[in-house]
Amino acid sequence: MRGSVHGLVGENGAGKSTLINIVSGLLAADEGEISLNGTSYSRSSRRKALDHGVALAYQELSLIETLSVAENILLSDLPGRSLGIARVQLRTRARELMDLVGLAEVNADDGLSTLTLAQRQLVELAKALSMPEANCKLLMLDEPTSALTGPQADRIHKIIRDRADAGLSVLYVSHRLEDVLKVCDEVSVLRDGGIALCAPSSTLTSNDLIKAMSGKALKARKDDELKTPGEPCLQVAQLATDIFPEPISLCCHRGEILGIAGLAGAGRSELLHSIFGLPAERKGSVFLKDAIDNHEILIDSPSQAVKNGIALIAEDRKSQGIFADKSVSMNSTVAGIGKLRGALSTISPRRERRVTEELIDRLKVKCDGPLQRIDRLSGGNQQKVLIARWLQARANVWLLDEPTRGVDVTSKLAIHEQLRKLRDDGAALLIVSSELEELMTLSDRILVLSDGKQVAEFQRGQWSKEMLLEAAFSGYAKRAVQATC
Amino acid sequence: MQSSKQSKNMFSKLSLVFEELFVFLALVVLVLLFGFTADNFFTTGTLAAILTQLPALTVVTIGMTLVLISGGIDLSVGSVVALSGAVVGLLFTSSEMPLFVAAFLGILAGGFTGLVNGLLGSYLRLPIFIVTLGMLEAGRGLAYMVTGSQTMYIGPSIQDLSLPIGGLGLSPAFLIALALVFAAQFMLTRTVFGRYLIAIGTSEQAAKISGIRTEPYLTAVLVLSGLLAGLGGIMNTAYLGASDPNAALGMELSAIAAAVIGGTSLMGGRGTIVGAFIGVLIISVLQNGLAQLGVTEPFKRLITGVVIILAVLLDRWRSR
Repeated sequence: MRGSVHGLVGENGAGKSTLINIVSGLLAADEGEISLNGTSYSRSSRRKALDHGVALAYQELSLIETLSVAENILLSDLPGRSLGIARVQLRTRARELMDLVGLAEVNADDGLSTLTLAQRQLVELAKALSMPEANCKLLMLDEPTSALTGPQADRIHKIIRDRADAGLSVLYVSHRLEDVLKVCDEVSVLRDGGIALCAPSSTLTSNDLIKAMSGKALKARKDDELKTPGEPCLQVAQLATDIFPEPISLCCHRGEILGIAGLAGAGRSELLHSIFGLPAERKGSVFLKDAIDNHEILIDSPSQAVKNGIALIAEDRKSQGIFADKSVSMNSTVAGIGKLRGALSTISPRRERRVTEELIDRLKVKCDGPLQRIDRLSGGNQQKVLIARWLQARANVWLLDEPTRGVDVTSKLAIHEQLRKLRDDGAALLIVSSELEELMTLSDRILVLSDGKQVAEFQRGQWSKEMLLEAAFSGYAKRAVQATC
Repeated sequence: MQSSKQSKNMFSKLSLVFEELFVFLALVVLVLLFGFTADNFFTTGTLAAILTQLPALTVVTIGMTLVLISGGIDLSVGSVVALSGAVVGLLFTSSEMPLFVAAFLGILAGGFTGLVNGLLGSYLRLPIFIVTLGMLEAGRGLAYMVTGSQTMYIGPSIQDLSLPIGGLGLSPAFLIALALVFAAQFMLTRTVFGRYLIAIGTSEQAAKISGIRTEPYLTAVLVLSGLLAGLGGIMNTAYLGASDPNAALGMELSAIAAAVIGGTSLMGGRGTIVGAFIGVLIISVLQNGLAQLGVTEPFKRLITGVVIILAVLLDRWRSR
């Protein structure tokens, strides 16, 4: 419908991204027809779709590493004459869009490679919004806020609403059901390639959507009894890097889930990576307490961390997690391959296969078998394979950065189940997430980072969303005050 | 539902074996083609010609393939072949050293250049393309210095390595090369070392996060390449009966071509040694066949180049 925001939800594999790809010109439909504003619409290329006024922000970002932010934003319509790009025009137009989406702190000429994942997502959105409002008839957004935190997403939602009120039609595809219900006028639920439900969002709740998507209702989540954590096992002492120059100290216990909250850019991912031993420059130290004899092991490199049972599942699984064109089997066994050695210290293919099948079964990974390429799996199943990897490596300290980003609802619940099971079996988990609901469901304790500083710690049962948000903002408030003086 | 899953699993299994099968079929087609167009192709003379030139290129290609799979490249192998031959020549002709000791030291010289490449590339983080390019020049220069810029005659004692034994016409060099092909393939697929090389070549970042220390492995694979190039130098010297400072000019390109034809990706993470060996065979058969057809040298190179490009296009299509 013109001038409205239409939400589209569904499990991975239901057909959402395929639908978007067809309308945007990347794929050809097998049958049926599409009409835009009454005129029959059969595009055969992305260019034609653009000419028809279809703008789009992709889930797997469509940005080019080697170009600048401004060039990326205005890529489909670079201002200029025959002799070259009009730099000043490029910069001013890009600047407008960047300020609109919330990239005020980034320079238009900065190379894209210097940006964080959240900032890149904002660039992708700016790119989608770059089409002049007069020309743009349809805006399709595929998971536009998956890497953004609450406040950043709210800002984007406001832009979408404003544009819709001015006459733009928007298709909003997302896993974040609360967001969809908030922003959209109507929501359609796709299931197995067909529409299972289409209704105004005011009449729906998240549970209605989930029921329609999966054919089953969400079990009511019971508040977990307060678990008494075990021995302290991960000690972080005065850790500091350039991203978070003020030292952070924390302690995680066996059988505990420690959630780490904060706005994007607060230093949460950097904290996890630093604990794991990633960028070499850091001050302070990380100790692991051995379960058996209680002596402390200094952790200062990823290989050492892994050897001592620490796992890291990074935010960007595409470049820091999976080995894309390799099999599920290879991906599951790479971290603990030493355990699969048979005669003469060689890898036993039979053992590898058996171990992988057990892991697939245990985590209910939806795939065609251990030999299937991991990049053919949905995001949720890829994440399950990564968890399998660390299970096989016998990890007992888990560092998880956005463990359910880009994951469908059913897989998300399954992953949460799995994480709780790990905790119950005695593992220590540190989880970074931009979804406060997720953190509040899973964590026993929540640490809040704000602007690179540790500002608050909450025990289970003593927090609320408002308190967490307030703490997340508190570090920045001081900076804002100083700026205005 | 179950049968489609089974057939999908079978297809992915088949396409794993199929990778090498495909190149092998291409080889068979090529052999048959020449067999019908050239008069004397299917003779022992042809076979002997191909087999004697094969061992050096084969072992060099093994090393190159391993380096490519790990995400790197080694442009210095041709020069190392010449250098190790030069070292053997110098040591053997100017001292009482037994030949096999001199040969051993020649191979070690190759390993040493690999070590330098590896340390500069992994620990100092210099781009490996540039590092091995520099070694290509430096190694060639050293080869000239060691031989005094002229061919050093060694004689029949080393040629034994290259002479066919028994009725089969297979030389010790060829047998060693063949054994190394299978040994390297086994190492790649069944050892932790091989598995780590593949992981690093696929995604160095993901490999690091999986706990793999990338520097030692990247250095080791370059040392291996150097050692194999050194061995290739011994084999080449055996074939000639002399140390030639101009030996193996451009061999690195033939090795890369053979690896790519055999299915190795220049981006890293993908490839097999057996496939690369078939690539070597394809190049050798191609060059010999064209020579027998009376094709001139420039044309031979043109056609070989076209074959390489076709192989890459085919590989791209297959891995979609």
